[in-house]
Amino acid sequence: MADMSYLDLLMAQQEEVSEAEGGGGGIWVVADVVNGAVAPVTLEALGAARTLAGALGAYVYGVVLGEGVADLSATLYQAGADGVRVVDHPALAQFALEPYLKVLSDLFEAEKPEVILFGATPAGQELAARLAQRIGGGLIEHVTSASLDESTRTVQGAFPIYGGEYFEVVACPEARPQFLTIEPGAFSAPFLDPYRKGEPKMLEVEPGEPAVHVVGPAGGFEPLTVPLAQAPVIVAAGRQAGDFELVKQLAARLGAQVAGDRGARDAGWIGAEQIVDVRGVTVAPQVYVAVGIRGDTFHNAAMEGARFIVAIHPDPAAPIFQVADLCLEAEPKDVLPALLEALE
Amino acid sequence: MPNIIVLIGRVLDPSGIVFNRRAGRLFVNREEYLLQPADRCALEAALRIKEAGRLKGGPDAQVVALPRTLLPDDDVLRQAVATGADRAIYLAGQVANVDDALMARALAVVVERLGGADLVLTGATTLDTGQGQLGPRLAEALGWPQIVDAWHVEAVDGRVRAVRKEKDGFVAVEADLPAVVTVLPGVLKPRYPDGARLINVYRGVKEMANALERWDVADLMEAQALKPLIERRGQEFPPERERGARVSGTPAQMAQTVAEALGQRVRR
Repeated sequence: MADMSYLDLLMAQQEEVSEAEGGGGGIWVVADVVNGAVAPVTLEALGAARTLAGALGAYVYGVVLGEGVADLSATLYQAGADGVRVVDHPALAQFALEPYLKVLSDLFEAEKPEVILFGATPAGQELAARLAQRIGGGLIEHVTSASLDESTRTVQGAFPIYGGEYFEVVACPEARPQFLTIEPGAFSAPFLDPYRKGEPKMLEVEPGEPAVHVVGPAGGFEPLTVPLAQAPVIVAAGRQAGDFELVKQLAARLGAQVAGDRGARDAGWIGAEQIVDVRGVTVAPQVYVAVGIRGDTFHNAAMEGARFIVAIHPDPAAPIFQVADLCLEAEPKDVLPALLEALE
Repeated sequence: MPNIIVLIGRVLDPSGIVFNRRAGRLFVNREEYLLQPADRCALEAALRIKEAGRLKGGPDAQVVALPRTLLPDDDVLRQAVATGADRAIYLAGQVANVDDALMARALAVVVERLGGADLVLTGATTLDTGQGQLGPRLAEALGWPQIVDAWHVEAVDGRVRAVRKEKDGFVAVEADLPAVVTVLPGVLKPRYPDGARLINVYRGVKEMANALERWDVADLMEAQALKPLIERRGQEFPPERERGARVSGTPAQMAQTVAEALGQRVRR
């Protein structure tokens, strides 16, 4: 095998990214660091920033805060940042509001960004709102799509109402900077170009003291047990489900509640309080997986409000297929093992 | 007297509305408003702190309900008083468009006019818009510490202690008063309004006669400060659903398709 590394050199035009001097403005992305790596939502935010930057004619900058995070700048450059600021300080190792706030507000007051993107994570939400109030910016939270009003260089963000029944589009035409928190999973992550490189700027800072102190783990609290009617994800079994153990495993994998139709009750798999039926429980979850449910009128009417329905049933004429978004004409016992494996 | 302030909003009851994707609009069949569920929990937390009676070492504290936005009527505040708040202030104002940045500034002035407060409680999010910026923004306007997404709040001897859910279990955090705490919906079981108080607060009689006050926003701030940052640009409806899409292939291929679709929608 011949040495082909010269091809690599030939084809890859090493793109050394260098920043424009004293530019100001720009689109800034504040990185979320999870377990020592850049969180996926940050990459998605960089993807959104790149799209906006192309239309706006602006540079994209990334900011990483933490301890021992200098190496993460490489990922931000690869994802499309034109400049990266790294703030490496022991006081920033764990997220604490006041130190982070101080560092970011000093940075942004000096740099005067046009747009600032955060991930819509607990830390990002907390930080963005407070920072927006401090430096007088407008904030749109949980943005799922963004467009540009070029005439006023304003970003229009859409966010879900009633959990996504529809979307409200808003903008902050006058306030600068414009803050957006990007809903995880809403934007596609950009291609990580390994030939995109740059030298990050390290910032020297004096973070303040946190005002909220962690006391320690709190006992006696349990995650909420949600009634079936309000469960966000439901896996329901029917007469044709075959192996109910697999249904339970699927529910556990999806973090879903188990339910069923009257057939599952007759089979002794579920209790009476778990029957999805207009005479039992009416549900409207985000996701409803019907395994081996034929779908009579009473059952279908009780779950039609679900936002996304998957139906697995061997009979092509099963009425459940009239309400499902994804219909699988198959025996559940053939599909479920593969599905459990694919969800790994 | 120590003040516990609760910010309360309302939401159009989703069971009375139909979202029509084809028409691209929503139809309101029954215009009925609920208290924001998270704000109801915040009110419950405030009442429990008052009843525990150790906010500042002493039992005398009053719960003051304020609106989280400018409302056309004061129903939610009357409900708050009926539920147990000692005092409510309705903010009246002719402002076409209100956002959280504007409200944070206005509420900071209200807090100042009330002679300060020790604790501000509000919902961590709203049921309809899902925005949670009012609490942090008010904390910043007041220059106070904040604890967001609390499952449980107690205030003892000048400190507030809250429980938050982190990645690896529940964690107690603490801050000095005064502070702003936002409460998650559904974690505290809110009480119902007291029937007799509800009647009295609408009639304005007995001890309820002076419970509800009306302040004008124009007195709090200058007219040019009453400008929101957020401007509405319209609504987007998702495309109509196409039901009955068959997935073809071997069981393994079907499973792969379903796994991808579920992976996008199920977040854990």
